Amino acid sequence: MTTPTVTVRPPPWRNVRVLSWVFQLVVFAVVAVVFLWLYGNYEENVARTGIPTNFDFLDNPTSFEIPGNDFSQTQPVRDVLVEGFLNTLRVSVVGIVLATILGTLIGIGRLSRNWVVRRISTVYVEVVRNVPLLIILTFIFLGVVLQALPTIQEAWTPGGVAVLSNRGIGVPWYEGGSGFQLLLLAVIGLVGWWAIARWRRGVSGRTGEPSRAGLYGGGFFLAVTIGGWFAFGFGVTTPVVAGRQIAGGMRIDPSYFALLVALVVYTASHIAEIVRGSIQAVPRGQEEAARALALSPSQRMWNVVLPQAMRIAIPPLGNQYLNLIKNSSLGAGFAYFELTNVTRVTVGNGSPAVPAFTLALAIYVGLSLLTSVLVNIANRRFILVER
Amino acid sequence: MTDSEELVFADATQVADAVIELEHVDKFFGSFQALKDINLKIGLQEVVVVIGPSGSGKSTMIRCINRLEEHDAGRIAVDGIELTEDIRNIQEVRRETGMVFQQFNLFPHLSVIDNVTLAPRQVRRVPKAEAERHAMELLARVRIPEQAKKYPGQLSGGQQQRVAIARSLAMRPKVMLFDEPTSALDPEMIGEVLDVMKDLARAGMTMIVVTHEMGFAREVADRVVFMAEGEIVEVGTPEHFFTNPQEERTKLFLSQIL
Amino acid sequence: MTTSAAPRPAAVWVKRNLFRSPFDAVLTVVFGLLAVYVTFQLVRFVFVTARWEIIGTNLKLLMVGNWTMIHLPRIAIAMIILAVWGGSIGGLIHARQVRRGTSTLAEMSLPTRTGDLVRRFGILIATVLLLLLLTTTPGPWLMAAGAVVGAVLGRVIGGVLGRLHYPRPVAVPGALVFAAIPIAMYFYLIDAVPLAEWEGFLFNIFAAMAGIILCFPLGVLLALGRRSKMKLLRLMSTAYIEIVRGSPLFVLLLLANVSLEFFVPSSIAPSKPVRAIVTFTLFTAAYLAEIVRGGLQSIPRGQVEAARSLGLSPVTQLSRIVLPQALRNVIPAQIGQFISLFKDTTLAGLGLGILDMLAVSEAITQQPDFRGQGLIIETLAFTAFLFWVGSFTMSRESQRLERKLGVGTR
Repeated sequence: MTTPTVTVRPPPWRNVRVLSWVFQLVVFAVVAVVFLWLYGNYEENVARTGIPTNFDFLDNPTSFEIPGNDFSQTQPVRDVLVEGFLNTLRVSVVGIVLATILGTLIGIGRLSRNWVVRRISTVYVEVVRNVPLLIILTFIFLGVVLQALPTIQEAWTPGGVAVLSNRGIGVPWYEGGSGFQLLLLAVIGLVGWWAIARWRRGVSGRTGEPSRAGLYGGGFFLAVTIGGWFAFGFGVTTPVVAGRQIAGGMRIDPSYFALLVALVVYTASHIAEIVRGSIQAVPRGQEEAARALALSPSQRMWNVVLPQAMRIAIPPLGNQYLNLIKNSSLGAGFAYFELTNVTRVTVGNGSPAVPAFTLALAIYVGLSLLTSVLVNIANRRFILVER
Repeated sequence: MTDSEELVFADATQVADAVIELEHVDKFFGSFQALKDINLKIGLQEVVVVIGPSGSGKSTMIRCINRLEEHDAGRIAVDGIELTEDIRNIQEVRRETGMVFQQFNLFPHLSVIDNVTLAPRQVRRVPKAEAERHAMELLARVRIPEQAKKYPGQLSGGQQQRVAIARSLAMRPKVMLFDEPTSALDPEMIGEVLDVMKDLARAGMTMIVVTHEMGFAREVADRVVFMAEGEIVEVGTPEHFFTNPQEERTKLFLSQIL
Repeated sequence: MTTSAAPRPAAVWVKRNLFRSPFDAVLTVVFGLLAVYVTFQLVRFVFVTARWEIIGTNLKLLMVGNWTMIHLPRIAIAMIILAVWGGSIGGLIHARQVRRGTSTLAEMSLPTRTGDLVRRFGILIATVLLLLLLTTTPGPWLMAAGAVVGAVLGRVIGGVLGRLHYPRPVAVPGALVFAAIPIAMYFYLIDAVPLAEWEGFLFNIFAAMAGIILCFPLGVLLALGRRSKMKLLRLMSTAYIEIVRGSPLFVLLLLANVSLEFFVPSSIAPSKPVRAIVTFTLFTAAYLAEIVRGGLQSIPRGQVEAARSLGLSPVTQLSRIVLPQALRNVIPAQIGQFISLFKDTTLAGLGLGILDMLAVSEAITQQPDFRGQGLIIETLAFTAFLFWVGSFTMSRESQRLERKLGVGTR
C-alpha cells in the first residue's frame, strides 16, 4: 500500500551532496595550486640568492644596540625581539588608557549643553579624524619634539618638577623600592575597594541608607597605597638637567613621547565618536522613563544611560584598541624600537627577511586575537550582568 | 473514526490523481522532532487548508514540499517526481511548485514587472516580450495591473502579497503553497488577498494553504488538516471538521479560536 | 507686580548655552579663552609668520612628483575626460532616481540645487582655488576650467542617456565601454610615464583608487566564503581575513618591500608602486570582506528563500538578488573603507621609499634654498590640509548618502 522508503540513489553528477563536496575540493585545489606556485617561486629564488629561510637566525647575535637601554650587542636576536615586543606593549597599554580617558571626555563634550565645549569637541574630532596618522606623527616628531622643544642646555623646567627638551622629557618618579611593590599595593588596594564596596552595598540594601561605596572603597585604596608608600620607604625623585643628560626622575624618550602623543590624539578622536554614538544609541525612552521616575541627572547617567551605552561601545572600542596596537608599528620610522623597528633593523643586519617579518606578523596577529578574546569576554560579561 | 481511516477514505478516490504525496515523513531540527510520521496525499485541483497551533509543524511541512527544508525520513513526491538528493529532481519540483510567503519577500531592487518576469526568463528561458505579456495578464488577474512599473517599497502590504502571488503563478506551477499569506497584513487588506486566493481555487489550482483564516477554510477548502506537535491529528471536509470534530485536541483548538 | 519685558532671544541663548550653571560658566571661560588663543595663533601662523614660498615653488613636485614636463598636458586631458565621465555617472544615477521616485533634487529649482552643491563641496572648491592661486602657469587654470565644464557637460549627457531605454545588444557593450574609460585613461598616462615615476599626490590618489577597485572581487569572494556552509571554504576565508586584519599595514608593506620578489618568477621584478598597490589590494580585501559580510547578513532570509522557491540557480540568486542588495546596503561603509585606504597610502613613503606626497613634503625641506629653516611645519600643514579636505568631503558625502539610503526605498 505504501511505497517502500528505499530510494534510488541519483547519479553522482546530479547528487546535491556530492556536488557540494566537489565544489569545495575544486576551490581548495585552485587555492592549493596558487600556493604551490608561490612557494615554488619562493624556494627557487631563495636557492638562487642563498638566503636561509628557517628560524635559526633567532640565535645569532644582534650586532646593534638599542639606545637608552642596557642591551648588549652580543645578545641573540631572540632577546632583542622580546625587547621590541615589550616596547610595543609599553606604548600601547599607556596609549590605550590615555586615549580612552581623553576620548571619553571629548565624546561626552560633544553632547554637552555648553556651546563652547560642544564646538571645540566637534572641531577636534572632525579635524583629527580626517588627517592621516602618519602625518600627525611626523608633525609631532619633526615639528614639535625636534624643533619646538629646546636643547638640553636650555630645557624648560616647569615648576621645577619636570624637564622638557628635545633629548627627552623628564617627569617625577618614585624611588626607594621596586615597581613590583607598588603594583602589589595597588592590587591590594583595588581588591579591598571591591570587597568593601560589596559590603557597603549589602548594608545599603538592608538598611536603605546610601552605600557610599565609592567613598569607603576609595578611602581604603588611598589608605593602603599612601600608607604602604611610606611604610616601604618610597620617595620621589625629580628630574634635573645634569650636563647633557637628565638625572633623576624618569626619562621619557622623545620618540616614545611623540609616538604616544600622536597615538593618543588620533585614537581619542575615534573613541570620542564611539562614545558619542553609543550614548546616542541608548533609546530616548530610557532617559525619559528615568526622568519620569524622578532620578537626578547624575543618577540617570550612572544607572541608566552609561551601563547601556557601555554595552554598545565595547566591540567598537576593542577595535580601536586593536588599531592603536597596530599603529604603534609606525614608531619604526621615528627611532622608537618597538617590534617592527627591531625586526627591520635585524633584517638590515643580515637576518633573513621573510621569516623575520613573518614572525613579527605572527606576534601582531596573536596580540590581535588576544584583544578580540578579551573584548568578547568583556562583552559577554556585561550582558550577563545586565540580565 | 481515526485519522488514518479518514486518510484511506480520502485516498481511495484520489490516489490515481495524487499530485503531492507525503509518506512517513520525519523531520528533525537537532534533537527536536518537528514532523512525526506525516502521511498525506493531495489530489489534482484539491484545496487543502492546514491549521494548528504555532510550533505544530505546519510551515515545516510545506517547506519540505519545495525543499526549502530537507526531510530526514520518508518519501515526498510532487507530480510523481520524488524529492531526493538528485539536483535535477529538486529543480523540477521547484519549477512545479509556487510558494507565497508570510513576509511577501518581493525583491525590493526590482520593479513589480521585473519581479514577476525574472524567474520565467531565467529558469524557463521565456523571451522577454512574452514573459511581460504573461506577467501583465497575471497582474490583471490579481487586480493591480497599473502598478507594473512601481517598486515594492511603493506598494501596500496587500498589493505586495498579490504581486507575490502573481510572481509564483508566472512559473505556471502545478501546485501553489501558501505559508500564512495574510498573517503579516493589516486587517483591511486581508480581504483583497483572500479574494485572489478564492479566485485561484475556483479556477482549479491545486493549493495547500497554511492559515488561521477559518472563513477561508470553510468557504473554499476541499479538506482541512489539523496538525499539532508535529503530527497530523485529524483530516476532514470543512463541514465535518467544524461541526463534528472527532479528536480531543482538535476540539480544544477549535474552542480556543472560534 | 508686573515683570519687565521678556528677555531678548540672544540673551536667552547665551544664558542657556554658556552660563547655565557656575560650572558651566567656568568651562565657557576657560575653553573659550583657550579656543581664542589657539585660533589667534593659527591665523597668525597661516597669514603672517608662515613662509609659503616653499609650497609655491614646489607645487608640481608635491602634486605629481617628477612627472616629465612635456607629458603634463596628458594629466590635464585625463582629468577632463574623467570629469566628463564622473559627471555622466551622476547624471545616470539622477535619472534612475527620478524614474524610481526617490530623487530629492528633482523638485528643487536650479538656484537651490546650485546652492546645495556649493554648500556640500564649498571647502573642496575653495581648496582648488587656493591651489590654483599658488600656481605660476596657466596650465592648471585651463585644466580646472576644463574639468568644471566637462563635469557639467557629463551630468547633462548622463541625465539624457539615463532617461532612455536600451535593448540588450546595445546596453551591455555600452556599459562595458563606459566602464573601460578610466582603464583607458590609465593606459594613456602609463604610456607616457612608467608607474615607478608616479609620485606626489597623484600617487596617493591613484593607489587608493586602484586598491579599492582591485580588491573588490577578492573581497566579495572572501565574504561569500566566510558565510559558506562548506567548512573548508569557511576556514580558509576566515583565516585569511583574521590574519590580514590582525596585521599592521606598515609591517605588510615592509614585508612586501623585501619579499614580494621572492614569490614571483625571477624574470618579473615588480616596481615599488606595484608592490604597494598589491599590498593595499590584499589588505583592503580583508576589510571589504567584513563589510560585504555585514551587507549579506542584512538581507532578510526570505529573499533567498523566495529566490530558491522560484527555482533560480544559486549563481542567479547571488548575482541578481543577493549581491545587488548586499552591496547597496553597505555603500557608506565601503566609502569609509576607501577613505581609510586613502589616508593609509601615506605609509607607502615610509615603508617602501615611494615619493608620495608626504615623502615629497619632507624632502623639499632639504632643498638648498629651504634647508635648516624649520619649514617642515609649513609643508606638513599643507599636505595635512589636502588630505583633510579630501577625507572630510568624502566623509560628509557618505553621511549624506547614509541618511538618504535610510529614508529612501526599502
